[in-house]
Amino acid sequence: MKFFGFHLMPYQDLPAGHLDGTASSWVTLSNALFDPEKGHRLYRRYIEELIAFDRAGFDGICVNEHHQTAYGLMPSPDVMAAVLVPQTTCRIAILGNALPLRDHPLRVAEEVAMLDVISGGRIISGFVRGIGAEYHTFGVDPASSRERFHEAHDLIVAAWTRPGPFEWYGKHYKFRYVNPWPRPLQQPHPPIWSPSQGSGETIDWAAKHRYTYLQTYSELASVRRVFDEFRAAAQRYGYTAAPEQIGWSIPVFVADTDERAEEVALPALDRLFNKLMRMPRDVFFPAGYLTPASSARVMAAKGGLGSGNADVRDLVNRGYAVIGSPDTVRQRLEAHAKELGFGCFCGVFQFGSLGHEDFLASLHLFTQKVMPALRAL
Amino acid sequence: MTTTGMAVSAEHVDVRGRRVWLARSGHGEPLVYLHGPGELDGWAPALTLLARDFTVYRPDHPGFGRSDDDPSVDSVLDMAFSYLDLLDRLGLDRPALVGHSLGGWLAAQIAVLAPGRVRGLVLAGAAGLRAGVPAPDIFTLNPVQDAELANHRHGARAAAVAAAERITEDQELFQRYLRNRMATAHVGWNPYLHDPKLAGRLHRITAGVLIIWGAEDRLLPVGYAHRWAEALPAARLEIIEDAGHRPQAERPEAFAALVREFLA
Repeated sequence: MKFFGFHLMPYQDLPAGHLDGTASSWVTLSNALFDPEKGHRLYRRYIEELIAFDRAGFDGICVNEHHQTAYGLMPSPDVMAAVLVPQTTCRIAILGNALPLRDHPLRVAEEVAMLDVISGGRIISGFVRGIGAEYHTFGVDPASSRERFHEAHDLIVAAWTRPGPFEWYGKHYKFRYVNPWPRPLQQPHPPIWSPSQGSGETIDWAAKHRYTYLQTYSELASVRRVFDEFRAAAQRYGYTAAPEQIGWSIPVFVADTDERAEEVALPALDRLFNKLMRMPRDVFFPAGYLTPASSARVMAAKGGLGSGNADVRDLVNRGYAVIGSPDTVRQRLEAHAKELGFGCFCGVFQFGSLGHEDFLASLHLFTQKVMPALRAL
Repeated sequence: MTTTGMAVSAEHVDVRGRRVWLARSGHGEPLVYLHGPGELDGWAPALTLLARDFTVYRPDHPGFGRSDDDPSVDSVLDMAFSYLDLLDRLGLDRPALVGHSLGGWLAAQIAVLAPGRVRGLVLAGAAGLRAGVPAPDIFTLNPVQDAELANHRHGARAAAVAAAERITEDQELFQRYLRNRMATAHVGWNPYLHDPKLAGRLHRITAGVLIIWGAEDRLLPVGYAHRWAEALPAARLEIIEDAGHRPQAERPEAFAALVREFLA
């Protein structure tokens, strides 16, 4: 088992009341609420927490991007990766760059190649579409999202692997000269990961390219189904998916006792799922972001993530988070690993309203009392 | 499809290899009605009245309703090109165009592109221009919110809201709703439901123009009607009282009377 530490960098200094009266913590939550002085202190603290994963012996640190939201202070994952590279020796997993939101995918090719060369080949390059809200943020037509994702991916991989200069005249991106300097250190290119909430199209795409598939924010039943689909897709493409090719990302919190873990983690998860993730469904899933068939399924469902009224204890029971004493967490993860067959565990250790000391204590218990037993799996 | 007047026939028409769903009714001079994004019922009440004096054609736009996608369509200008093919296919040399909302923008775009192909232009609650008047972002609305904002009169609003609440129950209808929403986003997401170059091209329109607006329009408030009137100084502006964004559905007699008189 490989271990990665994930950190959402939430804007914590917002009084909860500020999120009560708004329909959304994304896109339209006024940035007048962001206090740059508090932001400075948070960034210093969060960078220390991110580096703590490296010191604790994790295989990698994950960064990602989200926009115009109190959910996270990481609009640029490449900037965070650049901060971490000189202060760490583990891998830095960018999970990921949201390709369709960019009008210039070559910037992604350049930045990731820079990071890979500077870090001595420690970069994992995740590619995502970005969540629906971000299509409002960037004014990108969500109905073109998949097309743009695939074309930008193809362009970036070509830019990394084909000797330049060459021309690229696609539907969405047009370049007379593709010839980025530097080229990545890892050959033929940094490992590519595909984080997703489990759309059939993405599962198939990741399996086809033999990328690492990472499942995020899902109940256990979905994780099981998705990993089975991924393995089946790999077989269709003529190979057996390795466990390291299957990752699971999930909030995790460890305390001395189950009671203490619930006492600290449940309010933090409530803030994550019901306050920071809240947005109207038509903003979460804008027109064309999903295929009409997937859209019909999602819109017919009631409640769920983003609705702001999820029962957090119920979410934990359904497998949206793993919290408890070291024994509880270890036993659950051992059982899940055996059942689900994932070889990469991406623990979201900082979420919602978790304090610095609680974060460090949880990370310490996980490292000392959970990770060693799972390493062998 | 229900009408209390003449029968409406509807069928797929092949246009250069793509299928366009086309409803038609009535007799007389041709009138092509270009629908808005939210119109799922296929035949606005005012069309029944207009079919007494005109042959009314009501196509589903490419990518909308029951029409095929057209991969060449990424903008309303692209839609206008596609419509010139449809007019050719139907042998309509110079029909009247009546466009509502997104369809109003499209009608204006066709008239800019091919002025000689348009006998008269009716723009009702038309998108396409930016007025600096606050308006909701339709792409953030769910079907119920959309129905509440689009309709003004109590009866129409209650019926539309009730239908929106049940929209996921009829899978065929719901898929059409989703296709319309997606196709609208594809051409109108950014810039938000307008073309910054359109106002500077409207002088190319040679046909007479009638602008119709619901006085209580909350999706595109009546300030947008004045913006259109300012951009088309020769146009006639008619505000229909006691109607929201869809006067052709809420005040069909008033709407049809204005169109009939204008095209006479």
